[in-house]
Amino acid sequence: MFAQLLFLLSAVLTVGCAIAVAVTKNIMHSCIFLLGSLIGIAGLYATLGADFVAVTQIMVYVGGIVILMLFAVMLTGGKDFVSRAQNLLGLAPSMGNKWTYGIGLFVGLVFLLTNIKLLSNIMKSYPAKTFGNEFPSTVSQIGHLLVKEHVLAFELSSVLLLGALVGAAIIARPRKQ
Amino acid sequence: MTPAQFDGLMPIVILMGIAVLLFAGGHFVSVLLAPKKPSILKQTPYECGEQPVGSAWSAFNVRFYVVGLIFIIFDVESVLMFPVATIFKELNEVGEGGYALIVFLSFISVLIEGIAYCWKKGDLDWVKSFQVSNKK
Amino acid sequence: MNQTLVSYLSQYEFYDVLIGIFGKNEGLLAFVIYLLFAAAIVGLCATIGGLGTYAERKISADIQQRIGPNRVGPYGILQFLADGVKMITKEDVMPNTADKFLFYLAPMLALIGVFATLAVLPWSSGFMMADLNVGIFYLIAISSLVGVSVFLGGYASNSKWSMLGGLRGASQIISYEIPVTISVLSITLLAGGMGFGTILSQQQGTPIHWFIFHNPFAFIAFFVYFIGALAETNRAPFDLPEAESELVSGYHTEYTGMRFGFFALAEYIEVFVVCGVGAALFLGGGNLPFNVQFDIIPLQLFQVVIFMTKALILYYVVIWIRWTFPRLRVDQLMSICWKYLTPIAIFNLVGNAVWIVVFNGKSIADLVFGGH
Repeated sequence: MFAQLLFLLSAVLTVGCAIAVAVTKNIMHSCIFLLGSLIGIAGLYATLGADFVAVTQIMVYVGGIVILMLFAVMLTGGKDFVSRAQNLLGLAPSMGNKWTYGIGLFVGLVFLLTNIKLLSNIMKSYPAKTFGNEFPSTVSQIGHLLVKEHVLAFELSSVLLLGALVGAAIIARPRKQ
Repeated sequence: MTPAQFDGLMPIVILMGIAVLLFAGGHFVSVLLAPKKPSILKQTPYECGEQPVGSAWSAFNVRFYVVGLIFIIFDVESVLMFPVATIFKELNEVGEGGYALIVFLSFISVLIEGIAYCWKKGDLDWVKSFQVSNKK
Repeated sequence: MNQTLVSYLSQYEFYDVLIGIFGKNEGLLAFVIYLLFAAAIVGLCATIGGLGTYAERKISADIQQRIGPNRVGPYGILQFLADGVKMITKEDVMPNTADKFLFYLAPMLALIGVFATLAVLPWSSGFMMADLNVGIFYLIAISSLVGVSVFLGGYASNSKWSMLGGLRGASQIISYEIPVTISVLSITLLAGGMGFGTILSQQQGTPIHWFIFHNPFAFIAFFVYFIGALAETNRAPFDLPEAESELVSGYHTEYTGMRFGFFALAEYIEVFVVCGVGAALFLGGGNLPFNVQFDIIPLQLFQVVIFMTKALILYYVVIWIRWTFPRLRVDQLMSICWKYLTPIAIFNLVGNAVWIVVFNGKSIADLVFGGH
């Protein structure tokens, strides 16, 4: 009962906020709706039993990425962040004409159908998993996988992050005049 | 997910709901009780009694953004370290402590390398970042 | 395994009676239990937060040789209720250039972020609303909503003081999250788990079994955690986001009445939460100084008293620090975080990992007195 409620709540939050991100005309409001959407996704992870991934979602996205986005928006400055261009049925701020919308719709449909085609096979072969009473913590499972089987990926990810850090520092560094 | 594990999420949702309700309730009471006499002077942003000059929403220093970027990298690194730290003791008890230590330390050493680089290049400085950029 | 308040209570006989009353509907019963307990905790924390404002003024008065509030109630102890009533009946003023939606949302986000942390706070070994496997990690993650709310509060006001305060606040909170997280990682390493139940069960017994005395690195880690926690809750000497002598009042300059009250409430409860987490991670939480084989409700209540005592002692230290140290400059703030605390925290983490391997996970007390 609570599982279904949590799923519904998370799904409504995710989808509703995602639509609001696209529709709202103020970029700061978009950022905040994105925050709601990301929290909703964390809730969806939690309903799947992936507690560690859910908390990671909150930790990295809500605590980090959204604040970084807010900083990035403020970095651009400007008088106000409200878009006045309204093209898509007068609803959402957007660019483009009927050709771009048409192509976008077509690509989206193809993408959707391919995904349904691909995922339906997978979903048929994996029936809904029921956990027994002895559900082990996902954290220690992830830890064992990181240390044993995927140790190379674990170490390489640190190198990747080092590269990201150096790149971020260089890009954000003030240029010589 | 077992019912017991799932129950653990219920108080979180309830507490968040209480926060929202408390906020709404506080507002409702305040609307009922508080006076409502808005005036232009009351509604200007406070600028020590002067007429506010321009909007506060303007471009600001890039430093805050740099701090945010560095933060995210460290955040992700600590997220990756949490599962390994959780099973570290367990691995040590089955006699794989040395291996776990090597894995863990080599991960941290790259992190230290990152912070050392930023330190050396002056990205961690708050004030001097403009002078440092002119240095070789 | 996750343990919850309901699964703890279900071992008692009165739980079966309650189940009978609720017509075998365990989900509904769990909901009611959580709701009652959550309401109790929120009430308790609001009282602690309110008394925190009173304590702050009284202690600062003591330190500065004044009398402090003494009009409302005996020794002025009801001052916080008077303040609350005043906040409700004050006019709600919003700048006409403000971003109304975000202006409303910011205090609510702060409240949500702080209240959500209360779900995993370990009041005692049984009275934990949810002992999640990811307990402390969840707490760190969800409390970062406060950082977003500080930024939004500053942004939405469209006042220069607020904007500066909000920016400083957000960058300070995210920066100090790093040393705090790495210090917590050290404790995760020592305890072999992130759940508060796991962490507390490792610290049973006399104070020498607390994690702060586990090894020298953990001892340093406590201070790194505490300094970082001060900065994360915007407490002096790290109160730059609301520095009253330079930024008027920082990110809540434009907030009046009820909304200001919610910001203040969230802030004071957050201070209590970080003190409680410090007490649970490093100072043994609500563990009794002797081993008990049986488990009854009065003993649990005794644990709650012990936990609150430790947390409130830390709370006192936080207030004491505020009225003793001058405020830092912004550049000092950032260099303390990135050039001192973070390297020290990483050093502690490495030290703890090496200690576990070299001494096979034994604490100093174990090595000296034997045992385990």
